[in-house]
Amino acid sequence: MSSRWRRVLSFIVVTFVLIAIWEGYKLIWLQMGWIRPVRPDNTTMPHVWDMIIELFRPVRRGGDLLILDLAARSFFTLREAFLGFVIGGIFGFALSVLFVRSTLLERSFMPYVVASQTIPIIAIAPMVVVWGGRLDFPQWLSVAVISAYLTFFPVAINTLRGLKSPDPTALELMRSYAAKPREVLWKLQVPSALPYIFTALKVSATASVIGALIGELPAGFGDGLGRALLTFSQQFGARSVKLYATVIVTALVGVIFVTVVTLVERKTLAAGSRDFEVELMTGRATG
Amino acid sequence: MSDSPVVRARNLGKTFGKGSDRVEALRGIDLDIESGEFVSLIGPSGCGKSTLLRLIGDLVPASSGELTVNGKSPQQARLDRDYGIVFQKATLLDWRTVTKNVELPLEIMDEEARSERAASMLDLVQLSDFAKHYPWQLSGGMQQRVAIARALAFEPSLLLMDEPFGALDEMTRELMQQEVLRLWQQTHTTVVFVTHSIPEAVFLSTRVIVMSARPGRITDRIETQLPYPRTVDTRESAAYYDKITEVRESLRRGDRQ
Repeated sequence: MSSRWRRVLSFIVVTFVLIAIWEGYKLIWLQMGWIRPVRPDNTTMPHVWDMIIELFRPVRRGGDLLILDLAARSFFTLREAFLGFVIGGIFGFALSVLFVRSTLLERSFMPYVVASQTIPIIAIAPMVVVWGGRLDFPQWLSVAVISAYLTFFPVAINTLRGLKSPDPTALELMRSYAAKPREVLWKLQVPSALPYIFTALKVSATASVIGALIGELPAGFGDGLGRALLTFSQQFGARSVKLYATVIVTALVGVIFVTVVTLVERKTLAAGSRDFEVELMTGRATG
Repeated sequence: MSDSPVVRARNLGKTFGKGSDRVEALRGIDLDIESGEFVSLIGPSGCGKSTLLRLIGDLVPASSGELTVNGKSPQQARLDRDYGIVFQKATLLDWRTVTKNVELPLEIMDEEARSERAASMLDLVQLSDFAKHYPWQLSGGMQQRVAIARALAFEPSLLLMDEPFGALDEMTRELMQQEVLRLWQQTHTTVVFVTHSIPEAVFLSTRVIVMSARPGRITDRIETQLPYPRTVDTRESAAYYDKITEVRESLRRGDRQ
């Protein structure tokens, strides 16, 4: 059996084990009349198949099927998330390059970079939306900026570590060639940093989805997954399966995003394709 | 240029650190290395032999005295790419093939006909069959041969070697010594070779510079006077053993001083 099939099989097995635990808990707790830690009635813990069935019911009378509605919302949210991911990635990478060039810059700005991540995103999001409005930003751009706020940090921290990872002897070798800082960066430091960068991008991919979901709320977007999550959580008592179904779809969006990053990683880190042609980069600032 | 020495040091000194952490790595170094020489720097650890090599390569700045490389400041010589360097670690870039590793300095120096140059260098170190391999697919000795090919790819007039065979086993080491002598004779490069192995220094060099620690200084200069080409027979000759003994005793005297 090939390793790919083994991976798929083990994923399916784990899925069924998790479903079995969920349903088993329901069954045993109902039989025994236990109510701690959670009473497993159909509102707090609906059956897994009810969540799936809900996906194929209309959202509201005469409306689209829930799954079609959520697919459209997923696409909308993923687009904002991807834009935030790109903006945050570029910003994080640029920061790490500045920091690796100048210890002074790193020392003076790193505390603010760290502090930025201790401020809850729900406090930042409305500010960004208001400022974006003043600057006549389209709202999707404000949401992307909120998403970027979450994604730049892992990229900056990990890339910096990766740029610093080459052996000191390798740096001496580049010095012996009288290599320019730009050449040291693209021929030595960035290729060495790639494994670190991809680890960061996987964290950022999930963070960008969270950022987009939260950013949609103060932006007043009705078209994304964020609004659906908010609406369905308000209707939790009446129809909790809708929220559960939406949560599953949201998680899938994150998984798909991370999977795409992983595929790109595998292609990029394959032996021999980690080189950067500095010639293509001419016109960039040479240090 | 053949008149002036490749390396010329006068009263050269190097101090690391400040205050109570001050370490005098080198003091009063006077040294001339002529074009075409193969000079070994030998001494106990802490004698500053690697530091002296790094001063010549402008990898660290001197603290006092004079130093010229090819009649220029070490910095100018480095900027002119006058020397190639080989470290104890091969320091190959593991995402590049053997060929691409040899091409690295040529890319940075914007040289023409890189793949042809790399191919002829690999031919020179007898690794043509491994051109498309990656570093991790090679043995330690082969990796070091790639590093030497890379150092010679841009035809520098000076080759600096910092204990290049220190991490290799004895058999491989002897083969590599043979190899480096062959390259030296084919390319007419001046070589400065740091080692802590007495037999290695004697076998390779035209001249052995004996150094001593605390502070690092030159205590003796010994002409080996063994005829080239040097072979397995050289290793078994009485003259070779006599030279080894001479260097060993000189090292002991230097240590007692």
